[in-house]
Amino acid sequence: MTWPPSFLDPERLWVLLVVPVLIAGYVYLVLRKKKTGMRFTNTAILSRVVPRQSQWRRHLAVGLSLAALVALSLAWARPNGIEMVPRERATVVMVIDTSQSMAATDVAPTRLDAAKQAALTFVKALPEQYNVAVVSLSGNPALILPPTTDRAQAQQAINSLRLADSTAVGESIYVALSALQLAPKGTDSTPAPGAIVLLSDGQNTAGRSPTQAAAAAKKAGVPVYTIAYGTENGYVDLDGERNRVPPDKALLTNIAQSSGGSAFSAENLDQLNKVYNNIRSEVGQTPTKKETTALWAGYGLAFAVVAALAAVSLGARWP
Amino acid sequence: MRPGFAPPPEDLGAVASVLHEPTAPTIPLHKLAPEAALRRLELTVVRRLEGFLHGDHQGLLPGPGTEANDARIYVPGQDDVRKIDWAVTARTMTPHVRDTIADRELEIWALLDVTPSMNWGTEGVTKRDLGIAAIATIGFLSQKMGDRFGGLIMRPDEIRRYPAQSGRTALYGLLRRMLTEPIVSDHTTGPYSLAAGIQRMARTERRRGMRLVVSDFLTPGDFELDPNVEPEWERPMRQLAVRNQVLAIEVVDSHEVQFADVGDLLIRDPETDFERYVNTSDEAARERMDAATAAQRERIRIALRRAGAAHIQLRTDRDWVHDIARFVLAYRRTASMLHQPPAGVSK
Repeated sequence: MTWPPSFLDPERLWVLLVVPVLIAGYVYLVLRKKKTGMRFTNTAILSRVVPRQSQWRRHLAVGLSLAALVALSLAWARPNGIEMVPRERATVVMVIDTSQSMAATDVAPTRLDAAKQAALTFVKALPEQYNVAVVSLSGNPALILPPTTDRAQAQQAINSLRLADSTAVGESIYVALSALQLAPKGTDSTPAPGAIVLLSDGQNTAGRSPTQAAAAAKKAGVPVYTIAYGTENGYVDLDGERNRVPPDKALLTNIAQSSGGSAFSAENLDQLNKVYNNIRSEVGQTPTKKETTALWAGYGLAFAVVAALAAVSLGARWP
Repeated sequence: MRPGFAPPPEDLGAVASVLHEPTAPTIPLHKLAPEAALRRLELTVVRRLEGFLHGDHQGLLPGPGTEANDARIYVPGQDDVRKIDWAVTARTMTPHVRDTIADRELEIWALLDVTPSMNWGTEGVTKRDLGIAAIATIGFLSQKMGDRFGGLIMRPDEIRRYPAQSGRTALYGLLRRMLTEPIVSDHTTGPYSLAAGIQRMARTERRRGMRLVVSDFLTPGDFELDPNVEPEWERPMRQLAVRNQVLAIEVVDSHEVQFADVGDLLIRDPETDFERYVNTSDEAARERMDAATAAQRERIRIALRRAGAAHIQLRTDRDWVHDIARFVLAYRRTASMLHQPPAGVSK
């Protein structure tokens, strides 16, 4: 919990001004009572016979009542606290190729749309508790959606992918690995369990080597599952020039195998559930802002109860 | 005793002294003692007196009086021939005269303790004013011919001395002075305690007579209950009783003897810096307090008896005239025993 907490109704904190007024009143009454005590002549005997009455219970009762008042005032102002909420850490990072080659229409309707469709189907099928992150694969791979369990956001992120220049497969795996770091923190510093689903047509054209990235993924214990799109005679028209864009299936298979995952083709997508079946589930904790009124009200109640007990012990004549 | 539900009266009277020091005497001059009713009572004086004037009490030295003393040889030219004791003269063959003891006037000095603890009372009068009433009663009792009455008012910071004068006018004057003496405010410090006051009276008033010591006999801070331990005023008291007939008038309030049940409240001492919250509703504590107070009073009684002083206890909730009258009647029988002078001192 952070201190001081933020309040939803901070103007209600003005009621705390009553506390110094009450303290001043109490002190005044104590001093006044000192003046108005009873005169008595035979106090030498009295002091011998009557035990000294401790004053701390009286002050304790007043102090605790004031503490209860403070706590209840704070509760009334609806304080916010940070609470650790348990969350699933396991994360599947969807890396979707958005390079220009994905515009090829050899896979109906286009490679990209087919990949999006597959990704959406996969996300839909993914058990609820797993986090999904989305990374776009182009010359400049970017984290589109940090790990979240919100499927609507994931679908929106996938749908919003647009074509971009160049293909940096290796770089995108590094981005995906760093995306896994954003998964909810665990009790220790172990990385979150995860998997990378790489939907691409291969053909690394920029950035670090995919083999190296696959080795890094292996080291992090993150398998990369690849899905290759495209046929040997796929092509795209760029700037009035027709370019052949055959998929580099060998590269993708190599990445999958060296990182401990497996390679799929668009034909055997029904085996994709293997991806999440192999991820172990792990629960982490995320700090979440939450109203802690009940906590403060509980403090106030505790103070009030102890104050009441002190007051009762003062006034009661025990049998 | 529980307070009732009626609103308190505007003027609390003496009870207000429980809350703060009183500002005025709680009893008017004319109510101090029923002068006429006291004429028929007589205070027994057993000690012999010295003085210059002719009075109603037996003197210490020979002189013209009614009491016969020794016979001695007739000195011609000095003794009156009418005083010759013929029986002795016949037996001894030498002229003898019979001496008489002179009848002297009585000189009474009253020491009134007006320390702040005396400005307290819950039953109509404060202890100080009860003490003044006691002095008035004794004063009217002793209004025989030529008797003189003087007063010492012992404040913590000074002792006021009002010379002994005879006559009821002078006595009224003394009582008025005592009543109008400014009330000593609380926590006044000074050199005079009861012991010092008694010492002062023994030192300054040299003529034999009667001495009244009016006080509550409480020493601030003295919580001793063992009667074998002398209170600090006992020694001066004993010295005073060597030459004088001493009457100790102890004034107490009923709520000093019976500790009041007034709930949980702060109790302050008018003399010491004692300040403490006390739960007076605690029955066991009250019983302990009452027992301790009884032991304390018993110690005072024993100490006064040891000092050879007569002891009257007056309470603010009782009729002091009645108490003093009863004391005087019993005193006629016991006075001669009570006031035996120590060995080697003439009566």
